Amino acid sequence: MPATDIAIVGYAQTPSLRDANPSEVQLLVPTVAAAIEMAGIGRREIGFTCAGSCDYLTGGPFAFVSNLEAAGAWPPISESHVEADGAWAMYEAWMRLQEGDIDTALAFGSGKSSPSNPSEVWAQQLDPYYLAPLAPDPISLAGIQARALLDSGKATERDFAQVVANSRHNAASNPNAQLKDAGASVDALLAEPYLRNPLRKHDCPPISDGAVAVVMARGDRARSLCERPAWIRGFDHRVEAHQPGVRDIRSSSSTALAARKAGYDGGPLDVVELSSTFSPQELILLESLGLAPDGPTKVNPSGGALAGNPIMAVGLVRIVEAAARIIDGSANRALAHATSGPLLQQNLVCLLEGE
Amino acid sequence: MTDTAKEDLVMEHLVTLTYHERLTDNLNRFADGLLEERIIGAKCPSCGRVFVPSKGYCSLCVVPTTEADEIEVPDTGIVTGFTIVTPVAYYGQTKTEPFVYASVRLDGADSTIGGQDVTGVPQSELRAGMRVKAKWKPREERSVDGMTNRGWSGVDGVVESFEVTGEPDAPLDEYKDHLF
Repeated sequence: MPATDIAIVGYAQTPSLRDANPSEVQLLVPTVAAAIEMAGIGRREIGFTCAGSCDYLTGGPFAFVSNLEAAGAWPPISESHVEADGAWAMYEAWMRLQEGDIDTALAFGSGKSSPSNPSEVWAQQLDPYYLAPLAPDPISLAGIQARALLDSGKATERDFAQVVANSRHNAASNPNAQLKDAGASVDALLAEPYLRNPLRKHDCPPISDGAVAVVMARGDRARSLCERPAWIRGFDHRVEAHQPGVRDIRSSSSTALAARKAGYDGGPLDVVELSSTFSPQELILLESLGLAPDGPTKVNPSGGALAGNPIMAVGLVRIVEAAARIIDGSANRALAHATSGPLLQQNLVCLLEGE
Repeated sequence: MTDTAKEDLVMEHLVTLTYHERLTDNLNRFADGLLEERIIGAKCPSCGRVFVPSKGYCSLCVVPTTEADEIEVPDTGIVTGFTIVTPVAYYGQTKTEPFVYASVRLDGADSTIGGQDVTGVPQSELRAGMRVKAKWKPREERSVDGMTNRGWSGVDGVVESFEVTGEPDAPLDEYKDHLF
């Protein structure tokens, strides 16, 4: 059973919302249903389900259990959960499909960042001895990374602003994006004050709520369900040291390694969708993939994570955005990226192709 | 190795996480109803089961429910199961004596409301199947402030307890599929 014989045949996502009134599971119910409907299969036909979410965001222990109700878990189904972005849930479901005894799987990711204070919550993922007691908020950490990148001479603040301007322009045509501005200009962005020097507010992601779901199928089942499935040619994730102080935060060796292990050989890509939640990270990720910001590959045509950052969904949204372009025929080869942990600690790459 | 006693290094790491959350629309309507002594649930448009309170969807059919699907149910029902909790001291525990923790299926509902006190009968005589009626708190003491989107504290702020009515017990068939 070749690992490449699995494809995305259905997907759905909510818009990225600043402050959604529905609960996380209420966001998921119609989203999961829409992905299954697009795949054209019955809910009970799904061989395996995997969900990704974070109870720290929801603010309740075992919150992930009720999310499963969006998949319809009675009578009991075969399912799993990852305390991670939905991209990792999809990875587990993709692994499960390779067993060969089932031919469809569902994965979803969801999160509401709006009820909590990200500065408090995300300090908890740092190591409990040296960093968590200092409680560095994610923007301050990203500011250290941005400063290191500037000091290395690899990028300028103008480059950061260009990333943001591109995101705002691209997001203008994405109905699911939260921050969009077809008229964003680099000079105007650079005129804004610092939030955490050298980062300005627009270099940072918005606070977002959202949910996303994908349906995968194997081989001929995928071909029968979808006219042009998005074939998963490679899927890999790699992790670096937890402590940002012991790694080179100006580059992303785990992204480069994951891409290589996923089979990305530096060949042409039509689209790349990156979970770069801070503008400097887009430059770091592009360099680790050997791509130029202004090369032939379209970078974050959806606007990317700067245009909407529903944590625990945002990585899977990148895969869905890449898959959508394969399925609609506008791209033939696409790479999607998801990340986890402080300052790009863990990185996932999914390589998709049309047939 | 030396036999000199060393003190353990103790590091305190105090964490505060603050969440600001509004009730979902369905729970907001449930809360408003409770303050007026009305218990509102939602009837699934697909299977017809009634959930109290509404989750905003039917978890069996996986279809959303809306305000149009919401109905009022009476404040009478059946004890479907219970336990007597002997409290141990832990942070937040206010009880000191054994207390009842019962699930109540309201008439017309398919779900149960858990964690309810049942009064009007000695704990030793409490049994599943007993018919009960809500004993509402005085209007000025009612509060829905403790209600959350996570399913805790459903009616606690407005219902003092469920009082046994003295009617004959409900037959097992009336609640055996609705125990929890």
